[in-house]
Amino acid sequence: MIVFCVLSVLLLTFYIREGEAGPIHAVRSGVVTATSPVRYVGSVVASPFNALGNIFSNLTASQETLSDLKQQNAELTGQVAQLAEAKETAERLEGLLGLQSTYNLQSTAARIIGGSSDAWSQTVTIDKGSLDGFEIGMPVCNAYGVIGQITEVALSSSTVLLINDETSGVSAMVQSSRAQGMLRGQADGSLRLEYVSTDYDVQVGDIVITSGLGGVFPKGLPLGTVSSVERRDNDVYYDIVVRTSASTENNEEVLVITALSDDQRATDEDIAAANDIDSVQTSTGDGDSQESDQTGEDGSTDGQDSSDTTDESTEE
Amino acid sequence: MQLRESSYSPSRYRALAVVAVLLQIALAPQISIAGGTVNFMLALAIVLSLTFEPHSAVFIGFFSGLFFDLTSSAPVGLMSLLLTVTSFGVSSAAHGALGGFTRESVRFAVIAIMAVNLLYGLCLFLMGVQTDLIWALFGHGIASTVLDALVAVLFLMASGSGSSQRGFSARTRPGRSTRYKVLK
Repeated sequence: MIVFCVLSVLLLTFYIREGEAGPIHAVRSGVVTATSPVRYVGSVVASPFNALGNIFSNLTASQETLSDLKQQNAELTGQVAQLAEAKETAERLEGLLGLQSTYNLQSTAARIIGGSSDAWSQTVTIDKGSLDGFEIGMPVCNAYGVIGQITEVALSSSTVLLINDETSGVSAMVQSSRAQGMLRGQADGSLRLEYVSTDYDVQVGDIVITSGLGGVFPKGLPLGTVSSVERRDNDVYYDIVVRTSASTENNEEVLVITALSDDQRATDEDIAAANDIDSVQTSTGDGDSQESDQTGEDGSTDGQDSSDTTDESTEE
Repeated sequence: MQLRESSYSPSRYRALAVVAVLLQIALAPQISIAGGTVNFMLALAIVLSLTFEPHSAVFIGFFSGLFFDLTSSAPVGLMSLLLTVTSFGVSSAAHGALGGFTRESVRFAVIAIMAVNLLYGLCLFLMGVQTDLIWALFGHGIASTVLDALVAVLFLMASGSGSSQRGFSARTRPGRSTRYKVLK
């Protein structure tokens, strides 16, 4: 037993200390590649049962959730007529342009073949890997917006850390007010937009998009909508909860963004705005976290997030 | 030495291991209920530890944990460490005399599974992978324990009935009288 315990501790130590190209990561990639066909079969077999999970979730929904949904339903019904006209226009445009050209994305399509094997992380596995040119750090989105970022790559599959994992962080901004912040996953799977100054106006329903800081995610991709905004007395920042509209069901197509163009990166104005937030934080004595979040350790505004300290964090 | 030689069936345990491995790869990533996921390798290691001697149980625990580590996005080495220690503990406590679908076996399995899941959540919290200890322990941990325990019960049932595997039995073939006579 002692031998195996020592071996386990050594494995754990080397795993934590080695880089993404280390031997243990390589072994894991090999195992993931070898098991991908079985995983894919499981995905196909389990896909008809995904609806059961949704039914279970609906059964356990609270009355508050149900009343909110009813209210939303009433609002949405009113919008249906208005959107019907827009829908036809959108369909024509989608047919012409498609998602890729809409955002001018250089991307490759892939398919989700599985979720996380452990309960403590929010990841999905997609059916393409390094053979298709995928690399660690590449952002992943679906038709509704960003879902995460590649954290591990095998030959024919990749692991995507979802934005609602609590080690994830994406530089984001509120579309209407251009207020910048950091979208972080929470332990319960929800999303919070942090470090948004109370100087800005943020309302429930506002759309949250990527800010492009860090040069990982293209600027302007949708992340979700603001579902609640709280402002406590004397607080410098809002407490904002964001609801993502991007689902990660099995067999769903996703786009892996393989390269960014210059116009998809943050502008000088965005960087200056982020620096303004940093200066506010520094003056309030709470600047370390945000500084590392948005300006990086070297002081440049590269939006480098906790990926400096952990290899499983997302973007910026 | 195998204590329950009469019930020892290598082919049955091999089949159970193969099924667990396949389910871990194919099904575990697809099942997520109330924040919990199924760890078939944990259930397998615990169930086999109830039957095998500590020396074998440690071997099974380590490789089951390592397989889980390599097929998930968790830190490699953590589950193998926990399953090595837990399998040794379970096997030592059970003395290889449990196994099969009995009340004692189920009790042992559930306690061991809960211990592993809670320790796993605690370790992830200490390593900084999890930021909320309560959620890591009582959210993911308990939900996973329930799912793992259900799988362990199924594995215990598949590994054989406990009552028919215990030591020797005075049962006889149908139609034949027992050899034992009542002394007056």
